[in-house]
Amino acid sequence: MKEFTLDEIRRCDGRDGRRALILYKGKVYDVTGSFLWQDGRHQVLHSAGADLTDAMDEAPHGEDLMERVPVVGVLIGD
Amino acid sequence: MARVAREMVEKAGVNVDQLIELLVKNAAAELTTYYYYTILRMNLIGLKGEGVKEIAETARVEDRNHFEALIPRIYELGGELPADMKAFHDKSACPPASLPKDPTDVMGILKVLVEAERCAVRGYTQICNMTAGKDHRTYELAVAILNEEIEHESWFSEFLGEGPSGHFLRRGDTSPFVRKFLQ
Repeated sequence: MKEFTLDEIRRCDGRDGRRALILYKGKVYDVTGSFLWQDGRHQVLHSAGADLTDAMDEAPHGEDLMERVPVVGVLIGD
Repeated sequence: MARVAREMVEKAGVNVDQLIELLVKNAAAELTTYYYYTILRMNLIGLKGEGVKEIAETARVEDRNHFEALIPRIYELGGELPADMKAFHDKSACPPASLPKDPTDVMGILKVLVEAERCAVRGYTQICNMTAGKDHRTYELAVAILNEEIEHESWFSEFLGEGPSGHFLRRGDTSPFVRKFLQ
């Protein structure tokens, strides 16, 4: 599985045609094709290119929804 | 715009611009769902489909009511709808509730319907959480819509074999929770 640094993930913010990646519990998810992540934004409050592990506590859904998104890699230290 | 009403909400700690964007996205979800449900309902035919048609129709009409109920609040808070209908569609808080490739697949249609309702339940829960104790008017509206979305979800869920919905179909008018916002 591909390894990503935090910097690489941050650059994938989904804006201006860039790929949209999010980090959750050390895994990297590709949300580029998701209707719910257009332009790298999700429900106004979240942006791609970020670690959303803590945000899950406040989300109106569980982590089971992450299973619908392809995992494309894991985080490694910078 | 209701200037003081907006100020009160801001003073309570709500990011009003974010809230307006969420309300617009959810209004888009309601109107697009109304459109897509029209197609789904038309295809709910035959021995399996006819039994689901009535709740699909009720959910369809109530989703349109939710759209109507949301709009005044958006403008009160200083927001507006996009001038471009296509942009409005693409802003939706929920993915399109598209007809399955096989339009005779009633279980497939039910899965589309229940997913749309679950998306709505999540969306209004988020708005309720944002506004509870801070923006009383938006909260009351979001709770009313949430009540109806939960019922829609449970109706479709029952047909998918996930257990009893806990209640009957609507008797009388649609939108028992949202009706007061439509007057």
